[in-house]
Amino acid sequence: MASVHESLYFNPMMTNGVVHANVFGTRDWVSPYKISLMALLCEMTASKISLPERRRLNKLILPLQQGPDLSLGQFLKTVEECCPQTAYAVKLKLHEMANGELKDMEYFFYDLPNPYIAFDSEAYKTSVVGLFMRHMFLAYDKLSFSQVYKLYKSLQQYYHSHYAKPSDGQVGLPALVADDSDMDLTNPEDAVGDRIDKEELDTPLHESELSRGPLSQKQAEYFLARQAYLLKNDENKALKPAALQEELNNMLKFNPDFAEAHYLNYLNSMRVQDIFLSAHSLLHYFDRLILSGNEGKSNGDEGYGRSLRYAALNLASLHCRFGHYQQADLALQEAIRIAQESNDHVCLQHCLSWLYTLEQTRGSDSTVLTEDSVKMAAHFCLPYLASLGIQSLVQQGATQGKTAHKLMDALKDTDILHWKHSLSELIEISLAQTTSIWRMYGKSTMALQQAQLLLNMSSLEPVNFGVQQNNTEAFAVALCHLAELHAEQVTYLIRSRLSAALPRCCVSISQLLWMLCDLKIQFERHMNEGKYHLAEPLVTAISALNKTEGLYRKAQVLKALNRSTEAYSILQRLQVHCEKTKCTEVVIRVMLSTAELHWESSGFSTALPLLLQALALARQHHLQSLASETILHLAFTQLMLGVPEQALCVLHEACIEPVLAHGAVMDKGRALLLTARCNTLASLPSPHLPAVLLIPISEAAAYFFRLNCKERLRDVHYLQAQLHRSLGQTSQCNKSAMLFRLLDQELQSPAPPVSMRL
Amino acid sequence: MIILFWDQAGNGSDVTPGGRNYLVLTTNKIHFGDLVQIKKQLISVISLCKERGLLHSAKASELAFALDPLPKDELPPSPPFTEEDAQDLDALTLAKSYFDLKEYDRAAYFLKGCCSQKAYFLYMYSRYLSGEKKKDDETVDSLGPLEKGQVRNEALRELRVELSKKHIAGELDGFTLYLYGVVLRKLDLLKEAVEVFVEAIHALPLHWGAWLELSNLVTNIEMLKSLSLPDCWIKDFFMAHMYTELQMIKEALQKYQSLIEAGFSKSTYIISQIAVAYHNIRDIDQALALFNQLREQDPYRIDNMDTFSNLLYVKGMKPNLSYLAHNLVEIDKYRVETCCVIGNYYSLRSQHEKAALYFQRALKLNPRCLGAWTLMGHEYMEMKNTSAAIQAYRHAIEVNKRDYRAWYGLGQTYEILKMPFYCLYYYRKAHQLRPNDSRMLVALGESYEKLSQQVEAKKCYWRAYSVGDVEKMALLKLAKLHEQLNESDDAAQCYMLYIQDIFSCGEQLEHAEVSTALRYLGQYYFKNKLYDEASLCAQRCCDYNDAREEGKALLRQISQVRDQIETPSADLFAPLSNNTPVRRVSPLNLISFTP
Repeated sequence: MASVHESLYFNPMMTNGVVHANVFGTRDWVSPYKISLMALLCEMTASKISLPERRRLNKLILPLQQGPDLSLGQFLKTVEECCPQTAYAVKLKLHEMANGELKDMEYFFYDLPNPYIAFDSEAYKTSVVGLFMRHMFLAYDKLSFSQVYKLYKSLQQYYHSHYAKPSDGQVGLPALVADDSDMDLTNPEDAVGDRIDKEELDTPLHESELSRGPLSQKQAEYFLARQAYLLKNDENKALKPAALQEELNNMLKFNPDFAEAHYLNYLNSMRVQDIFLSAHSLLHYFDRLILSGNEGKSNGDEGYGRSLRYAALNLASLHCRFGHYQQADLALQEAIRIAQESNDHVCLQHCLSWLYTLEQTRGSDSTVLTEDSVKMAAHFCLPYLASLGIQSLVQQGATQGKTAHKLMDALKDTDILHWKHSLSELIEISLAQTTSIWRMYGKSTMALQQAQLLLNMSSLEPVNFGVQQNNTEAFAVALCHLAELHAEQVTYLIRSRLSAALPRCCVSISQLLWMLCDLKIQFERHMNEGKYHLAEPLVTAISALNKTEGLYRKAQVLKALNRSTEAYSILQRLQVHCEKTKCTEVVIRVMLSTAELHWESSGFSTALPLLLQALALARQHHLQSLASETILHLAFTQLMLGVPEQALCVLHEACIEPVLAHGAVMDKGRALLLTARCNTLASLPSPHLPAVLLIPISEAAAYFFRLNCKERLRDVHYLQAQLHRSLGQTSQCNKSAMLFRLLDQELQSPAPPVSMRL
Repeated sequence: MIILFWDQAGNGSDVTPGGRNYLVLTTNKIHFGDLVQIKKQLISVISLCKERGLLHSAKASELAFALDPLPKDELPPSPPFTEEDAQDLDALTLAKSYFDLKEYDRAAYFLKGCCSQKAYFLYMYSRYLSGEKKKDDETVDSLGPLEKGQVRNEALRELRVELSKKHIAGELDGFTLYLYGVVLRKLDLLKEAVEVFVEAIHALPLHWGAWLELSNLVTNIEMLKSLSLPDCWIKDFFMAHMYTELQMIKEALQKYQSLIEAGFSKSTYIISQIAVAYHNIRDIDQALALFNQLREQDPYRIDNMDTFSNLLYVKGMKPNLSYLAHNLVEIDKYRVETCCVIGNYYSLRSQHEKAALYFQRALKLNPRCLGAWTLMGHEYMEMKNTSAAIQAYRHAIEVNKRDYRAWYGLGQTYEILKMPFYCLYYYRKAHQLRPNDSRMLVALGESYEKLSQQVEAKKCYWRAYSVGDVEKMALLKLAKLHEQLNESDDAAQCYMLYIQDIFSCGEQLEHAEVSTALRYLGQYYFKNKLYDEASLCAQRCCDYNDAREEGKALLRQISQVRDQIETPSADLFAPLSNNTPVRRVSPLNLISFTP
């Protein structure tokens, strides 16, 4: 390994075999940038500046202190934006030093306002500025002669590298160009003049917020904390995975003992789903952490015993994320055992919450575990874990068909907890969960409202405080629901607008969610429009993301292409699988599809028990939209069995209203069409059909037109023509017949008997 | 006698119109047997290196020493003197003396205008060394903690620019190409560095330094195969060296053997390399013999003595180790190897604090000394200071990611901390690096066993046995595992193999476990009503203290049962290894394993 830090060459300051990361004891040191910053501070205290300018400068101080070293050009530019006059003064001061002698710099330090004396000034010793100044004084005092000389040299370089360039606006650019050209341009003789170019080669400065130069301990910590925070809260704003990786490698090269960088590396590798690198970094981090945590020297709560437990726990979570459930289980057992041995209840609590997550992902029932976890978490005052447990319980309850009011109550209670502890992440999850639950129950309006609430909620996190947008997983879930809801109402345009809001750089969970949602919408659209050949390739993509969903869609395509046998076998398999994994929604859908297959073979009576079973399931789980769809199917079956009155009765009793209120456009159209047909047949014996019947039909026609569903539109026109004829309205009849004829020609495929389809 | 081809370096050097001294390669192919030629080449290259201040080309002198001396008239003529050389002679002599006094900047200053190749090389080389020296000095008083990692040889970039210009113009000779490669490597431009080193080797195949630098950059066998290297006799040395580095010990030994046969039998370098290779495959006795031979031939040698001490440590030869340690201290006590030897010495005497101290000292002398980090880790493990051990091992890995001992050590540390799942990762890493080392496999198996992953554990143990078990533990563990799982046939088979294995290797190892095996086998045969075999096993059991009572009890039981049936005619006193009963369990085609 070439990049082995040779820092230890002269300084293996080891005690007890442990090399301390910070061998020099000071956390800060003087650099040319710091000197210019001090010059700025000094200028601010000395000269008269107007109030708004001073205010702007004051706001600038903290970011400048915390951020990485900037190049002089960048620094002056930032200052200039606030106060050109001060920037000029700072430049002048630096000019004096850089073009003078060593004594000028020494004089600068000597002449600085002393924070100890100036009691009433802003730079008093306890203020932020004062503290910074004192740090600098201390660091400067510690420098040896050669170090002072070196500092002065680097100050000169710092100053001249800025002015050596013709245009001071673009500092970064010429340095980059120099990389390729200096091989030809320079000759060996002017090696000294060359040196400046070379220096710049080392640090090609980006205009972005960070440079590639070394960061001080504090700056590095700040950088890591910020990136980690962004990764969690708003991935779009964090660096791209490759860039972040490079930055971290750079940091580790300068300071290999910086353990936190390994952890960030782990998080970063998780973003790109790199199991090897992430496992490696995670273990590396904990190996390092064990060292730094050693100062406690106890095996108990602090010290390295603690990090050992969390190391095992983190490993478990890593394996869980990558779907290695058995490995995760083993790691978790280990973490639990160690935690038990050392009586660490908090760690145990974390383990428990992972345990039920693991059980849940493996598809087994973990309600008891989760309940235990919630109880214990509440006992140990861990609000986060407690409400996470409750949310998980709510999710399980929803899939198991618990009554709605109980779930909502539970969510409301946790919401109170969240707001009390301002757990913004959980607030978001809670909102997203409510959206999902409403959606599942088929109350699209409520779902829409909750999704909007989440998306329009001002973030509580300081990273984008008061800004609406926040790219978390909950956010993505809400977005997906919103998109699907809009797609149901045939407003596809919104989809592209929504997708712009999502992070696109890597394969995060949100990204996968969105991809699936997008595919589903496209699929539905193609199916509705009868473009089965377009829908078919999408199935492969869907099954890559979600196997069950993919299978279901495949069966649908096969059904539409009249390959009933294959479709039937797939549906059967799917039903068995889903009954095992308790995906009630899919089970009901599969039953409906199977029933439709039965229709095709005219097995209407065989479809009935299936539909009744589906209805019972839907009712039991309060799945309203699915229930009304089932009823729709049921009514159609009854119609086909020759009892249109019954069908009408069923439709009016339980179906029409919820469908019209909450249903998708497709469902609305189908419901209306069916009603009309039932009405027609029911009143057939009497020769005089009421003209009222025509209204729902034309409404249905409008819906189908919006969907661009030509096949159904054709059916509608056929029925319309029939009705008009029986009403004796010849011209309208002819018009409908012509529309039918046009569509029929366009579709080419022979029209199936009208009666055969819902 | 092997027949190898090599490019003959002409009589010293050739003067090309550009005034460059090249060892021009002709395509004359001679046999290895032509040692006189080789010697001539060595002598001329040694003088070339010496003129250029390349001190570490001593390997060549070592080799030359191993060959028979040449008669006076056979000595190669010194390279012809060119006009340019004559011009630069005074400056060069002056600069060379400054150079020897380590006043590099001064040397460079006086060489600046010179145009001969020799002077140019020395000029560049002294600039490089001056940069390195300054870098080392500045590490002490850098401006801040984070800058310390950033301190770099300032001269490197300038050197690179100049050298690359000359390189493109094709004005570099073998030595300057070598320097260019070093500069590139220091700048972490590894790919370019490899290319330049290969070029340097082509230009001057006899310069061992370039080969050595190249060997540091080759990471795997595929890369090695893809390099186009000149067909020179020195290539065999390189290949052997590379095979050792890449843990392909068998191939390396073969190469070295053929080199010895070709006439380098007196070379201490080859002997030490073979000894190290034997050490790597844990053939301890062979390695020890070679090291002893080496000590006789070259009593003041310090190189490789740390490896020697490792061997003595493993063998537990306290007096020898103590003698070695004292001897080395007398020669030079501030050498990394010396410190390692002393550390091993203290470790063997169970004075682990002192041992750790000496390893620390070794690291102060050279922080990139891999062995010392690992050994220090072992010491801390002994002292139960797990966190410090982890630290030491991590450092070792940082120096060399492929150090399987450090990975294994980390695994052991976590195993001691009772984290069997956690340590799996580390053992797996170690196993990846040494796929045929049974120790890693046994460790993996043990961890799996602790995690109740019996299937994996069984696989590991069986594999450990198949690759040649060093510690002879895998079979026993496998048998016990089968026993636990009530797979009595498999268990019996494994015990039997174990007994055969133990007896066939001849050495008297730990016998406590043989009795366990015998006891189990006795019971097993008894249950299967194979009384002859059972009684035989019971008889053997009585040889061991801990199983005597049970053996007797079993014998009594057998005789009781036999009384009921009839008296058998078993040859109870036949030696076990010939008569191991295998009726139920089919006799296996066993090859007795020698470790």
